[in-house]
Amino acid sequence: MTHHISNYRKVFIFLLIGTALTVAASYFEFNVQNSIAGAIFVGLTIAVIKGYLVAANFMHLNSERKMIYWILLLTAFFLVLLLFIPVLWYLNNMSHY
Amino acid sequence: MEIPYNVELRKDTGLYNAKLGIWLFLASEIMLFGGLFSAYILLRTGAPVWPPIGEHGSILHMLKETVPHATFNTVVLIFSSVTMVMSWVSLKQKDLSKYKVYMGITIVCAIIFLAVKYFEYSHKIHEGFIPSHDIYMALYFTLTGLHGLHIVGGIIVLAYLLGPGISMWTTEPDRFTNRIEVVGLYWHFVDLVWIFLFPTLYLLN
Repeated sequence: MTHHISNYRKVFIFLLIGTALTVAASYFEFNVQNSIAGAIFVGLTIAVIKGYLVAANFMHLNSERKMIYWILLLTAFFLVLLLFIPVLWYLNNMSHY
Repeated sequence: MEIPYNVELRKDTGLYNAKLGIWLFLASEIMLFGGLFSAYILLRTGAPVWPPIGEHGSILHMLKETVPHATFNTVVLIFSSVTMVMSWVSLKQKDLSKYKVYMGITIVCAIIFLAVKYFEYSHKIHEGFIPSHDIYMALYFTLTGLHGLHIVGGIIVLAYLLGPGISMWTTEPDRFTNRIEVVGLYWHFVDLVWIFLFPTLYLLN
């Protein structure tokens, strides 16, 4: 348990650093063809890393039973499908031009 | 009749039932918030200007004003996740008084989060930035409102487990510890959703 506690402390510090970086990155000009695509990429990458830290350590997904991984794999598949709906909508609109 | 697999693990799943139950619930929650994130992407990519310009002008200035509040709330929620997991660790170490302290801090953090949100909402509404102002504000209130409701639900359950629900510790300590693990999973999920909402709604505009 002592090992767990020191691990939680480390994760907490990493999450704080991640939050500071997210805020700092939003003020930084990435200048990708005059769009904020660079800022979005950096912001979401940090969010994914922070999300991974929470899921792996606080939710104990780094050492869980197979059944939970299967549930999450199925959920991830449908989530990706759901997030791709806007892309399909965009492609569909493009075909009208 | 006794409910089976409260503490002992089922052979086929390798889990106690409440843990399987909460993960199935969280899977449905991922789809709920995923649907709204999908709507956000769809509306954002379809908008000619982002954030849209409404009758009160651009909301970029107003958004920048609220970044400190949202950053503060992010830190509060991350801290509450640590105290939540520490309350479970305390029970594993058979230390009920430590559990009470950590659980109490978690609830206080949740209340602070809602209080900051209240001031943020009041400020926006006072300035005329209501959900019908533009599509960004509609998304902002829907997403943060739904997340806020999850915080409220969490506070009710956490308060029960610090109040009347704590009596289970004397009769079934292992089952009570499992309950804290399960509610902790929910709480960390609420934190995880905020980790994505924070940059999406406040920073990347």
